[in-house]
Amino acid sequence: MKPITSYLDLRRRQIGADPPSSALAALSALVAVLVVSPMAWLVWQAATVEPARAYELILSSQTALVTANSVALMLAVTALSLLLGVPLAVLTTRTDLPYSRLWTVVAALPLVIPSYIGAIAFVGMFGPGGEVDTLFGATLPRVDGLRGAVFIVTLYTYPYVFLTTRAALLSTDGSLAEAARTLNASRLDAFRRVTLPQIRPGIAAGALLAALYAISDFGTPAFMGANVFTSTIYWEFSGFAVEYAALLALQLVAIVAVVLVIEAGIGRDQDASGGTDRGQPIRLGAWTWPAMGFVSALGVLTLVVPVAIFTGWLVRSVGDPIPSLAFQPEFALNSVYFALLAAFVACAFALPVAYYSGRTNSLASRVIERATYVGFAVPGVVIGLALVFLGTRTLPSLYRQGVWLLVFAYVVRFLPQAVGTVRSSVLQIDDSTLEAARTLDAGPIETFRRVTLPLIMPGVVAGGILVFLTTMKELPMTLMLQPVGTNTLVIAIWEAQNALAYRYAAVPALLLILISGLTMVVMLRQEGYGVT
Amino acid sequence: MRRATHGRPNRRRFLLATGAAVTGVGLAGCADENGGDPTGNGDALADDGTGSDDHGDDGGAGSVADAEPMGEPVDSTAVSWSDLGELEGELTIYSGRTRDQIDPVFVALEDEYDGLTINVDYDDNDVQVNQLVQEGDATPADLMYSQDPGALNALVDEGLVQGLPTDVVDAVPESYRHPDGLWTGVTGRTRSIQFNADRLADETDFESGDELPTEIMEFATDERFRGIIATRPNSGSFRGFIQAMVELEGEEETRGWVRAMVDDQDVQLFSGGSDQADAVNRGGDDDPIVALGNSYYAARILNEDPDAPIDLAFTENDAGCLFSVAGVGVMNDVDDPELVAGFVRHLLAAEGQEFMMDANGEYPVVEGVDYVGELPNLEEINPPEFDLSDFDMDLRDAQDLLTEEGMTV
Repeated sequence: MKPITSYLDLRRRQIGADPPSSALAALSALVAVLVVSPMAWLVWQAATVEPARAYELILSSQTALVTANSVALMLAVTALSLLLGVPLAVLTTRTDLPYSRLWTVVAALPLVIPSYIGAIAFVGMFGPGGEVDTLFGATLPRVDGLRGAVFIVTLYTYPYVFLTTRAALLSTDGSLAEAARTLNASRLDAFRRVTLPQIRPGIAAGALLAALYAISDFGTPAFMGANVFTSTIYWEFSGFAVEYAALLALQLVAIVAVVLVIEAGIGRDQDASGGTDRGQPIRLGAWTWPAMGFVSALGVLTLVVPVAIFTGWLVRSVGDPIPSLAFQPEFALNSVYFALLAAFVACAFALPVAYYSGRTNSLASRVIERATYVGFAVPGVVIGLALVFLGTRTLPSLYRQGVWLLVFAYVVRFLPQAVGTVRSSVLQIDDSTLEAARTLDAGPIETFRRVTLPLIMPGVVAGGILVFLTTMKELPMTLMLQPVGTNTLVIAIWEAQNALAYRYAAVPALLLILISGLTMVVMLRQEGYGVT
Repeated sequence: MRRATHGRPNRRRFLLATGAAVTGVGLAGCADENGGDPTGNGDALADDGTGSDDHGDDGGAGSVADAEPMGEPVDSTAVSWSDLGELEGELTIYSGRTRDQIDPVFVALEDEYDGLTINVDYDDNDVQVNQLVQEGDATPADLMYSQDPGALNALVDEGLVQGLPTDVVDAVPESYRHPDGLWTGVTGRTRSIQFNADRLADETDFESGDELPTEIMEFATDERFRGIIATRPNSGSFRGFIQAMVELEGEEETRGWVRAMVDDQDVQLFSGGSDQADAVNRGGDDDPIVALGNSYYAARILNEDPDAPIDLAFTENDAGCLFSVAGVGVMNDVDDPELVAGFVRHLLAAEGQEFMMDANGEYPVVEGVDYVGELPNLEEINPPEFDLSDFDMDLRDAQDLLTEEGMTV
């Protein structure tokens, strides 16, 4: 058991031991430049707006309103995700909750469902004219506007916090908290003063992803009629005023930059405690049933409701067939193919950045790591258009030939999910291990390949799977950049919804949940992330 | 009224078959006001085969307007696919229309011609336009198939589309296409009033849809619509409606209408046409009972459930029943101009028109193909006539008007 105060020493030693080479720094910088490059298009577009008009746009009361709404959405979703995600993570890792494997899967699975599909299902179940209304003549209070968006986005975003907090809990030493208990600290006190500081970086990492997802989401706020920043960007797009949209998107980036700097402060001093002793599980006693009831209720709301609604659409097909919307197996294959490619490339991009920033504590490494998060906060349609421009100007003959540009687009948006998880596992490498390898005359590359890589592999796989899952449910960039005529599961759902023929959305939606769900289970079985 | 293809000594005659079609089909609503020269102004891209100025300048591609005539004149009452030449090769189409609406006609063409492959890219209409603008001439698209003239005009403004063959241009009444033939409407529809028939009778002072006002301006002033009306302001169709209202009623009145809808009627705003129609049909306490939108959404719901409560009404001879078109523009740089020209001809031929009339309940734009369907005839609705490519107020200003009056989503 290590005294907490030794962490800083450990960290210093780590950094001193094996200073990353300048080649690694250059590689990381290259990745950062690549994924931030679409922002150049935004700046270039925004610069064409007349100064007076730009001033007017930025300072208009409408912009002020949507900024306030977006920030409120982001803060509320983040806070609620913390309230759901952290206790659930503690519940499934540190208590004697029965069937904790099952509850872990239930708590993580909502991440695989696109939130706007969750919204449609929720209204279809509980809204007026929905299933509950038809069966029992009752409807829930109207869920719409900003509150509705907060509610739905939280339900499908909190798993970010759950997963990262869970990973942090699994990799920190539970016996520390027990020691605190022997010193007469109450359980809550021990959690607050010992465990929480240990897992704080993990929590912050998940909270950041939830926050960025919330502020960049368009589909759910639009469905709920919430007037947020992304609505304004889309509004300008719909009037073909791309330069206004670009200017507004830059403003969004500025807000996000503030968030990134703040989070950098909270998430700092990520420690390397590698203890696996989780200590005695907390006994729930009388709380066992309420705890299981709570997770079940959440699972019903986030998982059972959409699946039930989609199945309902499927079995109640009454209209004339619409052959053009018929399901084809290649939709699923395409989705999986795109998502796998995105996952692999994202991991390859994430490795240098995560390794560099995990083992160097310089301003440059912080900036490079933070820079990879920017794309996650920009709406997909904006990144998509930027890459349309850049792709046609750099490699016109390859534009929309193959999937390279689409995969790059996914990486631009979803890279931070891989950077975050890989970086956490880099931080957990005990420095003495690497020193041992070096004393055995292993060169830096051999050390990385034979020692470091195996150690961080769980983090790499987890990051890859997160990218896989978010790519599976991505819509706007896929519609824009996929090889012409290639359909995916989410495109099929979108087309069915456009046609108001929801029965054709059922099979792709159920398959999306099935494939993503199985992938999620694989992820949770990963060592270090494991369902234990 | 008929228009033949004579009297243009400097111009080659394209699509002789359509010459026959033009004679047979006739082209009402298309008075010969500019001397039979629809490409008469200086921007004309189709003129004289002298090549093009701002399109197709890489030489290899060639222009669609110069596509070879096809076949011999056919003396029939309507041009049919069988009168047109074979379509062979590969076409790439960017579509802002939805798959369920237009895929059937593409499939029918592919079934008809073994050598034809049509690759279609579907996305939201406005996204397609933005994407085409960013792509410039590097676009893989041969054509843009849009549901909205405003989108096609935006492509014209960016110099991204080229002139259509004169026979195609001549086949379509001028108000349904670009005056210089830079895009053409293919099918038409009117704006409509969607309503939930059950709720209208039970919960409002209207007994039935027959009692709804026939003037769009009243929807903003009649107190009976307060709190129960909705619209979707972010569509090209709605902007066209606003542009039309400005032209018919004046800008101040239009601003007043928008403001009254927002402030007095507390209009519910949707960002998706499907969501709006769904809500009208669903009929929950907070859902709108009446909504302004395109008629085909109701048709889709009724296809899924013939007993659904959603129904349609139309205003008369004002912006509320604006007749607008879905249509195509040909991108500057196409691989096979003959194929593209032939494809557009097929859309405007009798089968193409009837196909979309049946599938989508849309109105034909080529005179002589009679509308058969459940919607009222255009004579009944009597929509005002507009030059859809040239409203007094341009699209940007219409968008700004909505932003300024607070009708945004």
